[in-house]
Amino acid sequence: MEISRDAYRAIEDIVGAENISDDPAFLDSYAFQWLAELVRPENSHYMPRPWAVVLPATTEEVQAIHRVCNKYGIKIKPISTGWYHWAAPMKDNEPTIQIDLRRMDKIISIDEKNMVAVVEPYVTCAQLQAEVMKLGLNINIIGAGCSTSIVASASTYFGAGPSSYYMGNNSDNLLGQEWVTPGGDVVLTGSLSSDCGWFCGEGPGPSLRGVTRGNMGSRGGLGTYTKCAIKLAPWHGAAVLEPQGPPPAYRLPIPENTRVYTIGVPSWDAFAETYLNIYDNEIGYIFHRQFNLAGADLAPALWLTYLRPDGTMNDVETASKDPEMQKLADEGRISFQIILQGRSVDEVKLQDKILDAIMAKTGAYKVGRFCEQDFAEFTHMYLQRLGHKHCNFIWVGGYMGSWMQAGIPDFVKNYSPVAIDGFYRDQKQSDGLVQCGGDALMGCGSSISGGGYFGFEQFVSYDPNDKASVQACVKHMYDAIDDCKANGIPLGKEYIYLMIGWPDEQIWNDFSKAPQTFVLHFQRKIKEHFDPRELGDRNYPWLPKGMGQPNFITQS
Amino acid sequence: MDKKNKLIAIVGAANVLDDPKTLEAWSQDESFVPARRPWFVVRPQNLEQVQALVQWANETRTPLVPVSSGAPHFHGDTVPSVPEAVIVDLSGMNKIIKIDRRNRMVYVEPGVTYAELAPALAAEGLRISTPLKPRPNKSVMASLLERNPTQIPRLNFSLPEPLRALGVVWGTGDVAFTGDAGSGPLSLEAQWQKNLAQIDPKGPNATDLMRLMTGAQGTMGIAAWASVRCELLPSARSYHFLPAEKLESLVDFCHQLERDRLGDEVFVLNAAQAARLFAASPDEIGSLQEALPQWMVVVGISGAAFYPEERVAVQEKDLQIMAQKFSLSLLPSLPGVTHAQVSQALYGCSQENYWKLAPKGGNQELFFLTTLDKAPGFVATVQAIAAELKFPINDLGVYIQPQHQGVSQHVEFNLPYNPKCEKEVAKVKAIFEKASAALLADGAYFSRPYGSWAAPVYNRDATAKHVLQVVKNILDPNNVMNPGKLCF
Repeated sequence: MEISRDAYRAIEDIVGAENISDDPAFLDSYAFQWLAELVRPENSHYMPRPWAVVLPATTEEVQAIHRVCNKYGIKIKPISTGWYHWAAPMKDNEPTIQIDLRRMDKIISIDEKNMVAVVEPYVTCAQLQAEVMKLGLNINIIGAGCSTSIVASASTYFGAGPSSYYMGNNSDNLLGQEWVTPGGDVVLTGSLSSDCGWFCGEGPGPSLRGVTRGNMGSRGGLGTYTKCAIKLAPWHGAAVLEPQGPPPAYRLPIPENTRVYTIGVPSWDAFAETYLNIYDNEIGYIFHRQFNLAGADLAPALWLTYLRPDGTMNDVETASKDPEMQKLADEGRISFQIILQGRSVDEVKLQDKILDAIMAKTGAYKVGRFCEQDFAEFTHMYLQRLGHKHCNFIWVGGYMGSWMQAGIPDFVKNYSPVAIDGFYRDQKQSDGLVQCGGDALMGCGSSISGGGYFGFEQFVSYDPNDKASVQACVKHMYDAIDDCKANGIPLGKEYIYLMIGWPDEQIWNDFSKAPQTFVLHFQRKIKEHFDPRELGDRNYPWLPKGMGQPNFITQS
Repeated sequence: MDKKNKLIAIVGAANVLDDPKTLEAWSQDESFVPARRPWFVVRPQNLEQVQALVQWANETRTPLVPVSSGAPHFHGDTVPSVPEAVIVDLSGMNKIIKIDRRNRMVYVEPGVTYAELAPALAAEGLRISTPLKPRPNKSVMASLLERNPTQIPRLNFSLPEPLRALGVVWGTGDVAFTGDAGSGPLSLEAQWQKNLAQIDPKGPNATDLMRLMTGAQGTMGIAAWASVRCELLPSARSYHFLPAEKLESLVDFCHQLERDRLGDEVFVLNAAQAARLFAASPDEIGSLQEALPQWMVVVGISGAAFYPEERVAVQEKDLQIMAQKFSLSLLPSLPGVTHAQVSQALYGCSQENYWKLAPKGGNQELFFLTTLDKAPGFVATVQAIAAELKFPINDLGVYIQPQHQGVSQHVEFNLPYNPKCEKEVAKVKAIFEKASAALLADGAYFSRPYGSWAAPVYNRDATAKHVLQVVKNILDPNNVMNPGKLCF
């Protein structure tokens, strides 16, 4: 569809010529997105190319851009730090302007006493964490790592990370937001809407944040979030993290009030029991299952090679055949990491003692080699900063996270073996997938604030530049869906990924079969009101009128 | 079929009331909201009846006012704002549906009260964080939906905590569950069979339906069940008091205490409020108030699961160090207050004669949210207005409850009065109105805008008000759910 150059000029007048571009070279850098090859024709690495990219600097500029887009019928797709293929435009035949928020990168304020920071969308977790640690505070860094936008995870996307167990999911840490609707209105939530400051995300009366900050958020499909306030958490460590050791396996010294462990368990039943005991005993500062992302068979070989200053990827295969390494692989096959931090040394000693009692009760144990000082310090650095996201892609440059359904420990312990067996089966059937063992399940100790509920993401490593490998991954995604259906398990993350490549009708057909469709019709009505020209994309999902069962319970 | 017969067809004749005495009782509460008599009071017994009532209300355009707690009510939200209303009294839906010890969850109907829930949970080794000495007939669900402050800030990961998911009959007449429960089958039993628990409050999908029900004063729908997160019942406990002559002297200490998540129950009282809270009988309040320090932080410490006594000991040691750092004394008890009185205040329910009404028979609450650093300024504002209007300043009770792990503070003033004395009523009403206006102007956040607070609060942000009205129009297109409240 051809768009009038007047639209381009109008936006250029808002941000200046240097902050808008329709140069194909620039535009393709936005279309080039991780996972695109799984859903695009010919396994292309490119999502649809945006019509233009614009870099606003203020909320007012964002608002003005939205209004121009309304006038000319141009779709809008905001991006801050971006993650996954859905950060790009979704359809080839719908001219979309990518609103790149990188110029909105200010930490507006840090209220140390009241534990609140106000940030713009391009402030990353790493930036804010570095600043607030100087004040004895910390932030919940989401699983996608420290280079991600806080506004994105708090306002419009998943908000869980290894520290959500103690620090809260960013959806709960959200203390107010500034939302530019597709129509160009600026909506303020919580105490901000009463001009009382950024300290409360709820009310007045019903909480407006409920309109958009659901389980996943609207993911750029319902306007742009230009600021948010985030709740900070206590930090009893050094004011400045001072990594030590040779790259890339930087190590963070473990102070007297901190403990870092990798804990193994003999079975998934024991995992659930250990989890529930940790939850009941309220110990832990960071709780995560990290290192299995490399696959249970290869994890020790990879990470211990990674720790060696002279180690290379070429050494991993040999290392993995070492009987000692295989023994360690078995020892850590079902394992997780926990970091204890006390406000005092006495407190961490008590947590340590409690952890020992839990392990004695459930049959859990410390994975010896992973608890030695070098590996513990590496774990400490990895999980406190979450800056090793390159490791997600470490095998062959690509991975897709399947499963990740969250639930209670008994729910997760039941689906984990299904996920493991299915992955192992697909690895055997195709050499397009990295042969790392069936268990590449990793994830946060809690996907909600405070624990009791979590999920594991299966790291399916594939080569994005090898079509056979890409297709093996896609096959695995459909296999995982079939495995879920066969075992009565709700569908996982692979389903959401695949949906990006489906036509609307296919998505709606699936949605219409959902047991409860009320929310999808609610979202349609919200969209009709706040996005009448449909400038946002289907990352904010909805269901056409008349589709799906009404939510009625017949009178008994 | 006339209205009464239709209602009888839905809930049964025994559950439709329209005698003058009953209607009169429901026509007003303890607030200054104008009285208005409802036409009927109905008592549904299950979700299906609630849904039928809402569908009928849509067909007949009849206003419904849902109420879960027993009297007395305090904020005007249970008093009809429009004529021809039907009170939906949910107190008969009082089943504790399930206690899930393993995942520390409890599932309750709206009529379950704090007095009923506490012993049932204790039998399973559980508890929930409660408001300060709730009246025994206070609905757990209503309290959580209205975001009443709870006593343990470290557990308060969000203001609605520990509320997690709801089964709701929306104003449209649809039934839909909130949170993760909104993605599964429309039946708790069917979800439990699949090992699905209703623990994640977010969602379903891109919406947080539960959050649209909180603070709504029954304007969006009627919740028929709620899932609530529990804590382990402590097996070791102690409590401590940090006195001060001035509130300002406690602020920095409280900031540190809340930041470090030290202790369970944490709140601040002035002497007047403490005397009412701790007194064994109304007769003792005056003398007790004289003996108490002007201000105090109350800290409850507990231990559960492994090594409970050691947990208490470690926290006590850390608390001692912190108190010394801020030059505060740490008292194990208050003069004239027994161990049993403190226990009852922190962990129990009020007696039938609600403790806030005990001194004089009437009490006007004035509350809002702010940050701790601003609290002393707001206290000074209300004290000045009370003094100006000749209210006995020593009677002004102040309660400051940290929320959301210390980020925000519920600041509450209590003005006791004799409801039979017109002069006292007029004085308290004048203070309430003047202080409310002054606090609003000074930046106090009225996050729960009851009665006369609603108009000035929503007039502050026309856009937010409009968005809320759009939401209301979707969820309750005929405005049958408690019309006239908030901005609806």
